[in-house]
Amino acid sequence: MSYNRLLIPVVLCLTAAAQTPTPATASLSVSGDGTSALTLTSADLAGLPHETVSIEEQDGTKTAYQGVPLHAILAKAGIPMGHGLRGKALAAYVLASAKDGYQMIFSLGELDPDFGNAHILVADKRNGEPLFGYQGPLRLVVGGDKHGARSVRMLEKLEVVQVRK
Amino acid sequence: MRLLAILFAAVLVLPAADEYQWDLPKGFPKPQSPADNPISDAKVRLGRYLFYDQRLSVNGQQSCASCHRQELAFTDAKGRAVGTTGEQHPHGSMSLVNVAYSPMLTWTNPQMRSLEEQALVPMFGRQPVELGLDARGEKLLRTLSADTSYPGMFQAAFPDEASPITLTNLTKAIASFERTIISARSPYDRYHYLGDNSAVSEAAKRGEILFFSEPLSCFRGHGGFNFSNTNQVELHDNGLSDPGKSKAPTLRNIALTAPYMRDGRFATLDAVLEHYRSGGRHDAAQDPLIRGFALSAHDRADLIAFLESLTDREILHDPRFSDPRKQAAEH
Repeated sequence: MSYNRLLIPVVLCLTAAAQTPTPATASLSVSGDGTSALTLTSADLAGLPHETVSIEEQDGTKTAYQGVPLHAILAKAGIPMGHGLRGKALAAYVLASAKDGYQMIFSLGELDPDFGNAHILVADKRNGEPLFGYQGPLRLVVGGDKHGARSVRMLEKLEVVQVRK
Repeated sequence: MRLLAILFAAVLVLPAADEYQWDLPKGFPKPQSPADNPISDAKVRLGRYLFYDQRLSVNGQQSCASCHRQELAFTDAKGRAVGTTGEQHPHGSMSLVNVAYSPMLTWTNPQMRSLEEQALVPMFGRQPVELGLDARGEKLLRTLSADTSYPGMFQAAFPDEASPITLTNLTKAIASFERTIISARSPYDRYHYLGDNSAVSEAAKRGEILFFSEPLSCFRGHGGFNFSNTNQVELHDNGLSDPGKSKAPTLRNIALTAPYMRDGRFATLDAVLEHYRSGGRHDAAQDPLIRGFALSAHDRADLIAFLESLTDREILHDPRFSDPRKQAAEH
């Protein structure tokens, strides 16, 4: 294996301790097939129900990321979730893009609480503090992943792509 | 009875008298020692004396510390190391800072994973000669046995052995000392781990974001708390003019460890950045991550500011890692 995004968990580890954040204003756009395009600001996200995902660091301590479940944000943009997710909607994916150009995809079925129920957050806080520098102001945190490659840092955009038209 | 219970509890809580006490900041895991060489104060003390002892070279001219100088973050400012008889090594001396976290040692040998084993290479290697000791180090062991201090130090470090002055124990002690050389007090550490927002410049903060960005991807070779991917045991061809795979070393204290790359071909950090910006040889043999990127003069300065923020100046003078004989002479 050559270098790849597997090294992200190490980066997650690097964030173990308390760095004083330099808060930046978040802006997350949600668009694509079947959505009512919207843009969420820090204040918008702060007003949505938050959950927590904990990541174990290299020194054995745990870092808690707080954020809004990814499926809840998609639902807010009009993507059917739960009972509404059926048929061709299951042949769709979300393309998550970062400020630095990094991209990752997740299928809708993987995210839906009635199917894969993956615990993925759009995190805006780490241990209760805003995300700093290269982490934020928003990032994905994929609970349960053995490696951090899918936990997109500096998240800016979510696009839904319907594969089966 | 109650007093006994308290005493018993205290025994459970207190570390053993000779258990080495790591002074590690948050974010730094406890270094692991091999099962057959648990670290102890006595071994670290002995290893420190040996590390600085020039009698470990065939002509009494060099010690481990000759190529791993504390004031240079345990490097030697040479592109290629020079042994005690003047032979030049094909590679430069690697920093020993945080070597306890390195799963793989040396620039180019992915099989070298033990500090105890690695210590034998400079002592007995012939191509090139580094310290140039005789085949089994018998003369050295006789010298140490006749010394006024070493027999006691060996006995303290290996109390269960009747004749502890052996080559195996010598390498165990040196390795134990090397594991204690932990660097974690740079401005970046104060900023990142201690929450001191003023510890690094705004340029360094911008450089940090660039370092961890997808286009540059510096973090993929130099990630983690030690900026060396402590879970990685692979070599990579980083696109130098002569193909070949080598280790991505720690970037901690990198501003102090010029010249750079395995043979010191680049004199400055700026030259290193220019190499990666240009994308190396652009052939199929180099790692696909070496692909070149745009880098403005402003970004370049920010990146260098970030790299400079990794300099831990305290370790350059930390008395725990200095020559114990000089220290004793000064007091």
